[in-house]
Amino acid sequence: MTATATPAATPSQVQRPPAEVRHADELARLRAADDAPTPPGWALSLRAARAFIVGDEELCVSRKFVGDPSLIDRALVSLATSRGLLLVGEPGTAKSLLSELLAAAVSGDSTLTIQGGAATTEDQIKYSWNYALLVAEGPTERSLVPAPLLRGMAHGKAVRFEEITRCPLEVQDCLLSPLSDRVLAVPELPGDAGMVFAREGFNIIATANTRDRGVNDMSSALKRRFNFETVFPIADFDTELALVEAEAGALLRRSGVTAPPRRDVLEVLVTAFRELRAGRTARGDEMERLSSVMSTAEAVSVAHAVGLRGWFLRGAAGTTTDLVSCLAGTAAKDSPEDLAKLRRYLERQTAWRTGPQWRELRDARRELPGG
Amino acid sequence: MSLTVIGVRHHSPACARLVGSTIAALRPAFVLIEGPADMNERIGEMLLGHELPVAIFTSYLDDRRRHGSWAPFCEYSPEWEALRAGSESGAQLRFIDLPAWHEAFADRDNRYADAELRYAEAVERLCAEFGVDNSDALWDHVIEMCPADGVSDRLSAYFDVIRGESAAGEPDTAREAYMARWIRAARAEAGDRPVVVVVGGFHRPALLRLVAEPSSGGLADAPAGASGWPEIPQPPAEATAGSYLVPYSFRRLDAFGGYQSGMPSPEYYQRLWESGPEEAARHLVTAVAGRLRKRGQPVSTADLIAARTAAEALARLRGHTHPARVDVLDGLAGALVNEALDVPLPWAVRGVVTAGQHPAVVEMTAALSGERVGRLHPDTPLPPLVHSATIELERHGLDRAGEPTVDLTDPRDRAVSRILHRVRVLDIPGFRRDSGPATGIDPVLREQWTVRRHEHRLAALIEAGGYGPTLEAAAAARIAQRIGGAGGDLGALADALFDAALCGFTDLGSDVPGRLERGVATATDLPVLGRVLAVTLALWRHDRLLGTAGSAALGVVVAAASRRILWLAEGWHAPGAPADRARIAAVVAVRDAVVHAAGVGVDRTSAVEVAGRIAADRAAPPDLRGAFFGLGRSLLDETAPPGLFPDPAQAVRGAFAGGTAGDWLSGLFAVAREPVLAPAGILTLLDDLIGGLGADDFLFALPALRQAFTYFPPRERETIGERLLARRGLGGSGRDLLRVTVGAETVAAGMALDEMIEQRLASAGLISAEESG
Repeated sequence: MTATATPAATPSQVQRPPAEVRHADELARLRAADDAPTPPGWALSLRAARAFIVGDEELCVSRKFVGDPSLIDRALVSLATSRGLLLVGEPGTAKSLLSELLAAAVSGDSTLTIQGGAATTEDQIKYSWNYALLVAEGPTERSLVPAPLLRGMAHGKAVRFEEITRCPLEVQDCLLSPLSDRVLAVPELPGDAGMVFAREGFNIIATANTRDRGVNDMSSALKRRFNFETVFPIADFDTELALVEAEAGALLRRSGVTAPPRRDVLEVLVTAFRELRAGRTARGDEMERLSSVMSTAEAVSVAHAVGLRGWFLRGAAGTTTDLVSCLAGTAAKDSPEDLAKLRRYLERQTAWRTGPQWRELRDARRELPGG
Repeated sequence: MSLTVIGVRHHSPACARLVGSTIAALRPAFVLIEGPADMNERIGEMLLGHELPVAIFTSYLDDRRRHGSWAPFCEYSPEWEALRAGSESGAQLRFIDLPAWHEAFADRDNRYADAELRYAEAVERLCAEFGVDNSDALWDHVIEMCPADGVSDRLSAYFDVIRGESAAGEPDTAREAYMARWIRAARAEAGDRPVVVVVGGFHRPALLRLVAEPSSGGLADAPAGASGWPEIPQPPAEATAGSYLVPYSFRRLDAFGGYQSGMPSPEYYQRLWESGPEEAARHLVTAVAGRLRKRGQPVSTADLIAARTAAEALARLRGHTHPARVDVLDGLAGALVNEALDVPLPWAVRGVVTAGQHPAVVEMTAALSGERVGRLHPDTPLPPLVHSATIELERHGLDRAGEPTVDLTDPRDRAVSRILHRVRVLDIPGFRRDSGPATGIDPVLREQWTVRRHEHRLAALIEAGGYGPTLEAAAAARIAQRIGGAGGDLGALADALFDAALCGFTDLGSDVPGRLERGVATATDLPVLGRVLAVTLALWRHDRLLGTAGSAALGVVVAAASRRILWLAEGWHAPGAPADRARIAAVVAVRDAVVHAAGVGVDRTSAVEVAGRIAADRAAPPDLRGAFFGLGRSLLDETAPPGLFPDPAQAVRGAFAGGTAGDWLSGLFAVAREPVLAPAGILTLLDDLIGGLGADDFLFALPALRQAFTYFPPRERETIGERLLARRGLGGSGRDLLRVTVGAETVAAGMALDEMIEQRLASAGLISAEESG
């Protein structure tokens, strides 16, 4: 474990401990029961790693990702072979969570993370220098400050690269030789130290979303070195509802709210999110899709906000009226078109449904700004 | 006496192997198979030596429903293997399920669909338990990929879980009761010798229970036939039902969707059946790579190595000794797809390939599907339609590929055209008309056709055999069915009638006129009705080419459409609505029908009465009022009561208000132009009225007025121009008046300038207000 895992002693003070700390007991049980062959450099066998993510009732391992199990199979196999893994998909489809879980399962460490962005430089990916030491001693291993890629290669760990496509193309391409030749040159260092060969267990898990800047810009040389896995929004209503209920409930408890979220409000929320995401209602009416992201993650944060609103304003669970107020902020954001689409949805697609919560939702549409 | 019930999944190689080995080992007296019992007398047809896949196609036709359904067989179908192995070991073969036309199959197209899909909850639970995406992956995991010696126990366990405690639906219960009767009869007949039963695994638990029960009461013990075997249900007397073998194809086998679908990917399972999982996986990779390369998609050796490695690794991870179907597919997808997908992989969601799939994925599913096409043994009995159609096509040289052109004015060519149209109406693939008349009033007299051989031609002909024994009878029945199913959809009705004309049918049976009348009587769209009436009337009056002149069916449509238009027009309330040419055209069509088709029941008196009411109705759209005024005037004979239609001059004055004058005139001119052109007509009055419009009013009325006058042909417009010039005492020709050399904008600007000058002069007191007009 790296130094970042030490706060495990007091995990309650950490907002969000890494996956290997959150689920340390499950990992320990899986490791103890693991009798299948383990790929070189891996902390767990493929089967145990799979069980860590899709769950195993016998070992009391929770299911942490609700997508197709075959996606996990393919992702793990990619990591065990010589190609990197690139998770692509709409924002909010739990790509980052999946990459964290994969890294925790494969290497027992999910903290070697590069956050991609317009300002990401090669220094932040490979290595940089402690300039005081550099001036005093020249380029030595002591003055070298390794970044996640170098550390991952040197220690045989999985390196996570978030939002890789948001980096400039030339920066993305610095992954080419680590991925194909499994070696990173540090030309400043003399002798053997100038070549860092990747140890077994090293691989890259990258994520990219299809909304901001798709994977089309990526160089084909780099594309070829990755296996692509598309992560889709949750296909099944009940699964998504259960997930939103569980996640929002947990967030609310952490925020000190004791009233659990109301099931009927969540149903309306998840239905609305799914329909606005797909541009089609349950009974098949075509409608306009919102341009903003209507992911499960957004649904969870809206459910959280609804609960907070209800609790801290009235001391009760959130209602459909709270839902409409919160929707304006997440769904419409600053786009007047989306706001208009949302208003049309609330006007036209709520009347034909049965259930008092839908009537409430329709009545509450005036809570939208400008309504 | 032993009874072995093998519960299978239809089209499963593992099950077929189990069936084959069980029959070979037991050498039973009877092999009972889930299949249509009405084929039992002809079960020998199945074993003639066909190239698979083939299917038993059953058609059913009565006045309430037409239903066609298939029971497909391929080499690896357990039912087929039961037939083959059973006949090899000398057993008696029997199909024991209800016939496909039975009500229990009313909503089924595919007898061998997966029954368990209708009971999805247990399947979902099992998928979650085994960590697989869907039932197909589950099946491969639990059955196809495991060693042969454990298959029997696994099958029983699998279907016991799926059937569980859930009650089957009514159709399933009826079928199970019937099958149980056969099993009991076979056991009684077999004495000490074994009986093997091959049924869908979903039915097995219920059948075992039913057979074990002491026979008492219930449907299961309805009186048996004389021989002790259950009676085979007969179709109702007024219905026709028939079963024939048809050649089938892997593509059709794979195309069933939703509840109708069975095992997917026939080509893969064929390979699995022939040469085992390793070879099947290798074939799949080769086929996909070959297909992609043929399409110019890059597939490198490195990609294939990666796909192969990934498939092996996935197989090991999932506990398969050899890569299973999804392992190979997942491996290929990982290696070949290097961009974001728009829709999930089809084998992950279990569905047909939808739009937006990655090209590599499309090729993968196509390679899994395969292109194998079955062929029937030449001695297989075929429905009479196949023979008569083949002879007719051969006689006219239409049985081979070509691009025949037919001239509809030549009687011999017309006969060819009719055959082609009849084949087209029956949806036999490979016959396409590229050009030709599209409505009855097109001045097109030639047709261009493309005839191609098509792999599904024979199958389609056999399936069309349910409609009738000859091309003529079958096509007529098909068109009559379309007319019955069209309801109030006039477009569909018109298409069906025109197809009837093209096929050379003037009489479609005694109940068709009634259906047509009902169809027209429920139509709601006035413009469409108008178009239908115009076309039908023209066909009924003039068309000697297609032989429709004077046809009774068309006459019914003419009369019904005229009645319906009058009815709809009278209820149309929209005062001030702008003129609509399609609506006006409907009135014109009624006028023609009244004038020319009195013989088929178009009632002149009621037309005149309705016209009078609409013309006087202030709530009616002005164009309809004008049109019906014109209709009434032109139909009015001397004997009509006076006062029903006012003098045109009076009516024009009445209509010249509220900016609707142009619309009203449009209606009038479309139906009757004589009042304007007649020597003592309303032209003078119109001139005065239009001249009296203020500048603003004139501009407002102008578009509608222009539209109204377009109903006059150029020669008549010239006459109008000349009269107007003469009235003003001016020289020159009317034709020049119609040719404006400057643009409309210039004229408008000039008029505005005139208006402004007059206003200024008037306000300065230089001219009086009356003079400024």
